[in-house]
Amino acid sequence: MSQEIKLYVRTADQTRRAELDLDASSTGADIIQAAVDNWALPADTDYTLVNTTTGKALAPGDDLSKAARPGDVLEVQPVLVAG
Amino acid sequence: MDMLRNQRYRRHDLIDWFSQEEVSAARIAVVGAGAVGNEVVKNLALLGVGAIDVYDFDVVEPHNLTRGVLLREGDVGRNKAEAVAERAAALDPNVRIRAVPGDFWRTLGIRALQDCTCAISAVDNFEARLKLNQLCLLAGVDLVNTGLDSRWASVESYPYGSAPDVACYECTLPDSAYGRVAERYSCGGLRKRALVERRIPTTTVTASVAGALAASAALRFGPETTTGSRRTLVDTLGGAATTVSIPRRAECPGCAAYVTPPRVVRTRNRWLPPSTVADPSLLTLPLRLSDALIASWECVACGPLEAADRYVNQRADAFDDSIATCPSCNAPSVRVEIRDAFTLGELVERYGPRPAPVKFALADLESGTVCFDLDEDRPS
Repeated sequence: MSQEIKLYVRTADQTRRAELDLDASSTGADIIQAAVDNWALPADTDYTLVNTTTGKALAPGDDLSKAARPGDVLEVQPVLVAG
Repeated sequence: MDMLRNQRYRRHDLIDWFSQEEVSAARIAVVGAGAVGNEVVKNLALLGVGAIDVYDFDVVEPHNLTRGVLLREGDVGRNKAEAVAERAAALDPNVRIRAVPGDFWRTLGIRALQDCTCAISAVDNFEARLKLNQLCLLAGVDLVNTGLDSRWASVESYPYGSAPDVACYECTLPDSAYGRVAERYSCGGLRKRALVERRIPTTTVTASVAGALAASAALRFGPETTTGSRRTLVDTLGGAATTVSIPRRAECPGCAAYVTPPRVVRTRNRWLPPSTVADPSLLTLPLRLSDALIASWECVACGPLEAADRYVNQRADAFDDSIATCPSCNAPSVRVEIRDAFTLGELVERYGPRPAPVKFALADLESGTVCFDLDEDRPS
């Protein structure tokens, strides 16, 4: 039986923010995809996820059971490519 | 002259954490002389860094002038690295600034990188970042990666030089970034002819923020307690900044293969006849090459083609997907076999006394990964 974890997810500019009950097996990539879809974030940008509570970046395959605790704030940040 | 030199850095000497001696001893490779590259080189030159090597293949265009602090209208059409290096040299004659025009993958070798304190990535695409990350990992040299758009500036520090088990650039890179790289190539692995690169607008505001943080990170200004890989993202509109540590990913495509840091062995890029190899079993040693090569080029309708010598055993990135069209029947029926994995025996057979057009070859031995640095004899 999968466990749920209550987290806050927001965009880096903090114009989008949601309190969510997420499956603990969800990965960083899953959360980014859900944010892009639900918040209509620009699809031509790439994103990464950071846990601002722990101060650690998440790898795309990291699942929430290891990378977050209830109440943590996850931030969807752009991966910047221009120089 | 010495008096002027001493006076130049006098204000730096008043800063308790600033060592002009260490800064002047540093050698920094700046890869990319665009908006961020300009800012980085300007900052490093004003700080009195000992040596700066500037790498860029591109030429100055009019739109670069709004973000290139070291560029002038008269530089339009010139190589960016040369224009930037020339103007930066005038900022401080004590700084040795070298312009290296051309693709850094062809001009920056592992040995040259190992002479550097740090490499700063100021490039504008994922592919170049992945390549520079690999070079820095192999060389064991710190990498500072920069990125920006019209609002955000990010700077990442990967201290490969001091802590070899730290996260690398690829440890948190999303799969979509590899998709962007793949968009540049046809399904066969050849570069697409008609690719339109996406253009991301930036301003000198984000470039100057990234350039300042990158120079600081390259010289390791700041508290000694921050030893691992980390990323700072700055919102240049609102002023907010977040800094996070980047944990190493066990299955990272960039660094997972290196359980221990790879040992770099400098080798002549020549391939002895099989009969002279003392241990014949070595000929079956699998090697992963730095560059994908064209292993065969043959039309499925016409069979072997006369022009094959032009392509086979050359680097695949030297050609675009037009070579998949058969010169004999004009159909897109040429099967181009491209790979970067060969056995030692295959390379011996294919190249003999000639150099293979690759930078390095990796071999997984019992003692760990070995990187054979083949750059010295590589043809230009």
